[in-house]
Amino acid sequence: MSYALVVAETRRNIFEERNMDSIGLCSLMGKDAFLLIPFGDYNVNEQYLNGIIKVKVEESMFLNPVVMVNILEKIMASHGKPYLMVFTNSASGTELASYAAGYFNVPIITDVSAYDKERGTFSKSYYSDKIFGEFKPSGEGTFIITVRSGSFKENLCDRNANPSLEIVEDVETNTTRTFMEFVEEEKSGIDITKAEFLLSIGRGTGNNEEVAEYEELAKLLKAVISGSRPVIDKLWLPKTHQVGTSGKTVKPKVYLAMGISGAFQHIAGMKDSDCIIAVNKDPEAPIFQYAHYGIIGDMHKVRDKLKEMLKEG
Amino acid sequence: MNLLVFTKRVPATQEEELRIIDDGNKIDLSKVPFKVNDWDNYSVEEAVRIVEKIGGTVTAVSIGDSESDEVLRRAIAMGAKDGFLIETENILHDPNARSTLIYNFLKKEGLPFDAIFTGVQSEDDQFAAVGGILAAKLRIPFVSMVIGIDNIENGYAIVRRELEGGLQERIKISLPCVMSIQTGINEPRYVSIMGIRKASKVERKVLKASDYQENVENMIELTRWVYPLKKEGATLLSPDLENACKELLNILKEKGVYQ
Ligand SMILES: Cc1cc2nc3c(=O)[nH]c(=O)nc-3n(C[C@H](O)[C@H](O)[C@H](O)COP(=O)(O)OP(=O)(O)OC[C@H]3O[C@@H](n4cnc5c(N)ncnc54)[C@H](O)[C@@H]3O)c2cc1C
Ligand SMILES: Nc1ncnc2c1ncn2[C@@H]1O[C@H](COP(=O)(O)O)[C@@H](O)[C@H]1O
Repeated sequence: MSYALVVAETRRNIFEERNMDSIGLCSLMGKDAFLLIPFGDYNVNEQYLNGIIKVKVEESMFLNPVVMVNILEKIMASHGKPYLMVFTNSASGTELASYAAGYFNVPIITDVSAYDKERGTFSKSYYSDKIFGEFKPSGEGTFIITVRSGSFKENLCDRNANPSLEIVEDVETNTTRTFMEFVEEEKSGIDITKAEFLLSIGRGTGNNEEVAEYEELAKLLKAVISGSRPVIDKLWLPKTHQVGTSGKTVKPKVYLAMGISGAFQHIAGMKDSDCIIAVNKDPEAPIFQYAHYGIIGDMHKVRDKLKEMLKEG
Repeated sequence: MNLLVFTKRVPATQEEELRIIDDGNKIDLSKVPFKVNDWDNYSVEEAVRIVEKIGGTVTAVSIGDSESDEVLRRAIAMGAKDGFLIETENILHDPNARSTLIYNFLKKEGLPFDAIFTGVQSEDDQFAAVGGILAAKLRIPFVSMVIGIDNIENGYAIVRRELEGGLQERIKISLPCVMSIQTGINEPRYVSIMGIRKASKVERKVLKASDYQENVENMIELTRWVYPLKKEGATLLSPDLENACKELLNILKEKGVYQ
């Protein structure tokens, strides 16, 4: 029971960078890391691993929760139960992890962004990062963790040995859920990833009538307008203007965020901007932890004042 | 089509200052307003639209204290036929404990369903786990991040699930199943105070969580609450509006994005 089983997230034959955080957590915990990955030509950073287990199934089968539990069952039968199983905290990772937790009846802690070695506790976000809960699995036995992207990469440590390689075949499939096809986003209009200056608005905008006012401000500032997920969900801006994990990753010279709280799915999409300026009426808003400059105040007042100054020239 | 929809009442903490009390054991939510979990609002709407189109019933279920009746009334105002409140004063942090409770409830009450809808995640705890755990316990298939239901009929559904960066995948799933619904799948209808008041006349059944306790145990232990580690943080501009705006424009000029 000493090894950690890292379930890789791959997408269209790419080994996702965020898997390195899953492996990094194993390094930090001092557990041998075995990577479970579909059979294929993936570019894996082998030096951080003790073993690689390739499963002879299509990627879409591997990422299918009703099949994954069969794969995991097989691995546990031959390797014994792992100390823990690690998944990414993303669209595929959370889906697989929660289903596996229910199937094997084991503890699960999701969206983990820190581990306290002395206390043996995992920190998970509550209330969009305003507070963190420190959890540990009760009792002994395998447990499941999903890891927030960007949290443990720095903890990776080189194993100095070639990882063992194993190939798993004859996985039992399941047709109660099947992959049909990928659906690409429609390309249209402005590409926000090319903008040097983004004015990004969040739920704090309030209602649809206000949006035009921000579009006018963007025009005056020669900025491109973008938004957080709720703004797109409410159809205030088109989907192609969404910043974040399920939208676009942007890196403008200036990212001016108004009325955005700073949930990690948003932060992940804009944290590498050269200069982040946040306007928010809540001094505790997590976005101020990532911003270079901040204004604590009402975004509408800031907007109106800016417009007034810009119109005066 | 019989659809069961889970809906949770959550604190609206976005604009609130949250304080940890009792030596890290508790978060003071006494002054925080509560609301329906955003994800569940979309999921109730989606369920109601389906039965409006192809017939059937939507039943809303919530676990929580007596105040959670509010989100059931809301669901009924949106078009659910009835509601169940599984009442408990305990806050069940562990998604396994919540799913087991739901599992026991479903088994004992024998509610018929073709699909169970949950939200992708609770706004407060962000576990994104209850739907998946429940599906596995029921040994039925699961799909999360559902951003479109293209078709749902005779024993199967075709749905689109959201991946990363605007990409989606289309999958086929057999019924019964559990779907976790993502925000943006639809535009939830407006619910008026009048509508909620009218919904009060529809019976909601109140059940005791203590009747469904078999194997409900916390598999994870909360040791304490902590505030996020503060990084250096932002340099704050002037508290005076006019000066703050002047400083902001200067920064934009300095960065070369505005002349
Ligand atoms: C699988 C998944 C994928 C996701 N993908 C994305 C994504 O790609 N992009 C994304 O953005 N989110 C994404 N989210 C959602 C994310 O978790 C948050 O819910 C979302 O980012 C919150 O948006 P917000 O900051 O605009 O709203 P809120 O969190 O509601 O914050 C609103 C902020 O506005 C402030 N405010 C309110 N009124 C005013 C005012 N008058 N003046 C100044 N400030 C004001 C408030 O203090 C608050 O901080 C995803 C979630 C999941 C589960
Ligand atoms: N106490 C509860 N009452 C009703 N539904 C819940 C409750 N907790 C979780 N759920 C459902 O499970 C989904 C995912 O929750 P979570 O796993 O806590 O993020 C929510 O969107 C709800 O649909």
